[in-house]
Amino acid sequence: MKFGVGLYCLQATASTPRHPSTPYRELVEDARLLEGWGYDGMWLSEHHFFYDGYCPALLPVASGLLAATTRLRVGTGMMLLPLQDPGRVARLATDIAGRSGGRLDVGVGLGYRDVEFDGKGVRRQDRVALHREGLTELQRTAVPAGATIWNGSATPRGVARAGARGQGIMLSGANPLSLVTELAAAHRAGWEEAGRPGGVRPRVSALRNFWLTDDRHEAAAVLDWQRASYVLYAGLGWAVAQQDSTEAMDFRADLDKAVGQAVATSVVGPAAQIVDALHEASAAGVDDVVLRVIIEGAPASAVRRMLGRMADEVLPALENVEAVA
Amino acid sequence: MRIGAWLTEVADVRPAAEAGAFGVLLDTGSDTGSVTAAEVATLTRDCRVLVRVLLGTENPVTLAEEVAVLDHLSAGRVVVLVDPGALSDQAAAEDLALLRACWSGRPVAHHGARWQVPSGVMGEGMPERIAITPVPSQVELAVWLTRAVPGVDLPEVIDDPAAARPDRQVQPGVAELTGDLARDRALVTAWSDAGVTHLLLRPPAPAGRVAAGTEAATFFGLYVARYLQPEVSMPGFPRIMAEADLPARWGR
Repeated sequence: MKFGVGLYCLQATASTPRHPSTPYRELVEDARLLEGWGYDGMWLSEHHFFYDGYCPALLPVASGLLAATTRLRVGTGMMLLPLQDPGRVARLATDIAGRSGGRLDVGVGLGYRDVEFDGKGVRRQDRVALHREGLTELQRTAVPAGATIWNGSATPRGVARAGARGQGIMLSGANPLSLVTELAAAHRAGWEEAGRPGGVRPRVSALRNFWLTDDRHEAAAVLDWQRASYVLYAGLGWAVAQQDSTEAMDFRADLDKAVGQAVATSVVGPAAQIVDALHEASAAGVDDVVLRVIIEGAPASAVRRMLGRMADEVLPALENVEAVA
Repeated sequence: MRIGAWLTEVADVRPAAEAGAFGVLLDTGSDTGSVTAAEVATLTRDCRVLVRVLLGTENPVTLAEEVAVLDHLSAGRVVVLVDPGALSDQAAAEDLALLRACWSGRPVAHHGARWQVPSGVMGEGMPERIAITPVPSQVELAVWLTRAVPGVDLPEVIDDPAAARPDRQVQPGVAELTGDLARDRALVTAWSDAGVTHLLLRPPAPAGRVAAGTEAATFFGLYVARYLQPEVSMPGFPRIMAEADLPARWGR
């Protein structure tokens, strides 16, 4: 099992005010720390036109992080592909992949905020076609340069399509394990039914809300940071559609219920509890985990202290763990 | 006059910055200037980060977002070098106006021949203005042009000292070093005398850096910074300051 850290959104919010350059400085510091601790990657997130400066341009940031490190991978989780010119975004990704020795993970998503489509002059109904065009360009130039493509879909049909293309998926941290299991199985089935393109099963990565602590006060704070981080998604207008295994999570319709559902995916506790939960994720079909620990209100010092412990006490126990078929 | 570096190799970035270049442009000749500028941002700490923005390749809102992010990644060190590319003067002027509106911090409503922002394509209920975030760290981004655009009053990076406008607060230029000390001293002096304020120098390839050794650190530190920058930092620079033996390097 491989481990990444995210999602770095690079915000300065109403509830955690700071200079807007501060998250960028801490991001570069974190990249060097994570590399030193032996993490495999870090992941960035994108939105546009939001009051808190939510990062709108992931590839330049990824380029800077890759220049500041030598082994760490950097991923976009997710880059909103329909909002960019397909040829140019592929050229950027290709350049970064080549210059970094293939350490770029290009996670792509469709986007869901109407204001972003309107601001960029893209009709929402065109997003699937534009997404396909962008994927084709990325596959044509960025993948040969060493980039790896990840898809951000949250539906069985969407992840099956990614599997059929031989591409990995990255699943939301708000997904309960039941939905993760359903999506991982659909992804695997999509790949198998397409004749196993590439010959090697593409990986399933999942954001998960894990936090290692032995302190009950810290644990309580972590759950509140998780709550606050999902309130942010309410502000963005995000929702998770109902699937066979899982009921809908609609932050617009019932904020308290949806936040409660999302926070309930958290595993906060001592090392043994985290290790057990990671084994459960593996049994659900997850190959790689992105620790969702860059959350609203969590001080950088607390995040770093926890990630250092996690590297010492948890990661070695999962070194040889493979996702269960 | 301040001397900066117009580079093509990432290996030259740190040596140039550590030798005191006012700014560094890493230019690989493609339209991916934001990629290389981001490398300069995280490989350096104090120098200005020049980012080449090629118009006509992407929505200016997206280009503006990339530059704003770079300004934060570099802690407010970005200088934008706008290349109008193949755009007509009129088109370049519109794209430039939209870029600068995005960096102003004001909500943007742009209705031009090329761009509508917001576009209105999503129909009713969309805002009439949008905030491009984050706003750059700097109060006002320095924007330089690779060629003049009629009607746009911004500094142009010139490649001929005769084109210098000493009436401007900032007059950037670009020139190529030869690696020959006498010729390079004359070169930078000519640019300074013409009224250029910021000169970006293209270094010779390592094999041509014969005057000071082919190592990047030696070239930028013991050639450009030792002999050329002081020459144009004051009228009548006393050359004994550069030509005397160097102080001991112990402890570095």
